[in-house]
Amino acid sequence: MGRLSVIVAILLMLSAISLVTARYQSRQLFVESERVQAQTRDLETGWRRLQLDRAEHARNSRVDEAASGELGMLGIVPDRTLYLNQPRGNAAGVTQ
Amino acid sequence: MKRVPFFDNPVLRGSLPMWRARLVLILIFAGFLTLVGRALFLQGLSTEFLQQQGERRYERTIPLPAMRGKILDRNGAVLASSVPARGVFAIPEDVKKASDEQMKALAKLLEMPVADIRARIDDDRNFVYLKRQVSVDVGDEIKALNVPGVHQLGENRRYYPDGEVMGHVVGFTNIEDRGQEGVELTFNDVLSGTAGSRRVIKDRLGRVIEDVQAIVPPVDGKDLRLSIDTRLQFVVYKALQDALEERGARAGAAVVIDVHTGEVLALANLPTFDPNRRETYKPANLRNMAITDTFEPGSIMKPFTAALALDLGRITPTTIFDTGNGKFRYQGSTISDVSRNGSIAVGDILRRSSNIGMTMISERLQSREMWDRFTELGLGTAPQIGFPGAAPGRLRPWDRWRLIEKATMAYGYGLSVSLLQVARAYSVFARDGDMVSLSLVKRDSEPTSVRVYPTKIAVMLRSMLEAAAGPDGAKAAQVQGYRVAGKSGTARKIIDGKYSTSRYRSSFVGFAPVSDPKIIVAVSIDEPQKGAYYGGAVAAPVFSRIVGGSLRLMGVKPDAPFESTIVANAPERIR
Repeated sequence: MGRLSVIVAILLMLSAISLVTARYQSRQLFVESERVQAQTRDLETGWRRLQLDRAEHARNSRVDEAASGELGMLGIVPDRTLYLNQPRGNAAGVTQ
Repeated sequence: MKRVPFFDNPVLRGSLPMWRARLVLILIFAGFLTLVGRALFLQGLSTEFLQQQGERRYERTIPLPAMRGKILDRNGAVLASSVPARGVFAIPEDVKKASDEQMKALAKLLEMPVADIRARIDDDRNFVYLKRQVSVDVGDEIKALNVPGVHQLGENRRYYPDGEVMGHVVGFTNIEDRGQEGVELTFNDVLSGTAGSRRVIKDRLGRVIEDVQAIVPPVDGKDLRLSIDTRLQFVVYKALQDALEERGARAGAAVVIDVHTGEVLALANLPTFDPNRRETYKPANLRNMAITDTFEPGSIMKPFTAALALDLGRITPTTIFDTGNGKFRYQGSTISDVSRNGSIAVGDILRRSSNIGMTMISERLQSREMWDRFTELGLGTAPQIGFPGAAPGRLRPWDRWRLIEKATMAYGYGLSVSLLQVARAYSVFARDGDMVSLSLVKRDSEPTSVRVYPTKIAVMLRSMLEAAAGPDGAKAAQVQGYRVAGKSGTARKIIDGKYSTSRYRSSFVGFAPVSDPKIIVAVSIDEPQKGAYYGGAVAAPVFSRIVGGSLRLMGVKPDAPFESTIVANAPERIR
């Protein structure tokens, strides 16, 4: 009887300690997951912002201004274009 | 002082009456009973309330805002996107403690005069917005200032990289992130997501310790891919802008439609607004004229009437009409042509845009037949494009048409249409007689279409329209390298109930390349002031420029012969 209670007491102690560690670990992991989620959000936002920046820089009116104003480029007209006829199979690249 | 032993206390010496001891006992028991009762009450009867109160002191519900979806063009270029921003607010009571330097620094960051901020916080309310939609970087700098009573809230700010070029198509949202105009309004349900929430326990310092319940994740709005092509849109916008400047016109609108899919590739109006700048939101700028404004189409209606007469066999391509000297008395009114045309067939009536010829054709048609066919062409009903305020136009019931009205309707007066409706109706000639349904969103499947004319008639009209846009017609519409077909129109505007002789609306509707039509382009210029006012002179060059630019960008092979000014030499090098 006495031995049994000692064993049970030891088991109880172990269980109590494991509970505390588990709890501690769960908090740690929770904090970590929070941090990673925040990072996801930040990256998402950063990506959105970069995408907007790119759109802003590649704006048609800006490109047009730079091309015709600063670089003195002209629009393409058919009489100054050379059309190459390719067989149908690999025409995909040409039509683009 | 004399020491008194406790067992020999004189107070104890006398025997006290028994009832006093009983009374004390009863009182003590009564006290205990009260405590037990109270404990029972707290533990048993009001547990729930008390537990809730406790939770309210350490648990918090954090709203998880959803991001509004992006709007993309058909090639995936961003037309509208949200990024987080901050709303800076103040609690006036607390701000009064702020030092002058702090206020100055804050004012500088907010780009507002100090006096303005002071005026705002000089208020009885306990919450005042100082400035909304401040960028996150500025928000962080403000936080670093540590001004008492100044705090921030998370918000979203929407950016429109293409600005005024796309203004009318994309529309804009209000400060609460809800769509107000254009696609933002029409597809608000798709674009706006559902906010989520999470319930957490916070510690003394306000840090999140753990989740109490399962998180309700926010559902971000879906991205929307439009049928618009930004490159074509810019070509259209630029062409319109230059034309308006050159002609001193009041307004202009143009639409480009894909013949095969019915997708709207470009839709531009001028004057326009920049959705990024709220000060440009003026009623006159916000009007999406191509969709919401209706006008008397004038000559651009003629092909539909001519096609009807040909379809019903009332005329043949060789039937000759004597249009005389350009003046014609009909039902008590005088119908006049711009020039004297003599005896001509239907092809020449369209090419020279003869009103008298159209009147003679209308004599062979019944009102009901015209009304039926116009209705099939979608006139009088708003196009199902899912855009706010799409105008149905006006087509009066046929049984109330007088004879003179039947004649004027044959050449486009007495009814009203929107530019988008006309552009869609022209798809019957660009396709083989069927009218395609329109879409502002990129299509994955084949569009639905309604057959209006037989293929034979559509092919016949196509060649007539090509002649109308040819060297003897509206030759300004010609495009180098491509065969184009179309019809110009010049409609007088009604001012004070009378047709004005100085205000016109010049329009041109057509399609290209004729050998295998790819796009339909409709252009309308309102009240040109400088130079000529005829559709063939004002709107046709815009049409030509849009068609040339668009077909080049779409990589369409030229179908008309042209003189090449360059020669390919040394073919080895090309390889």
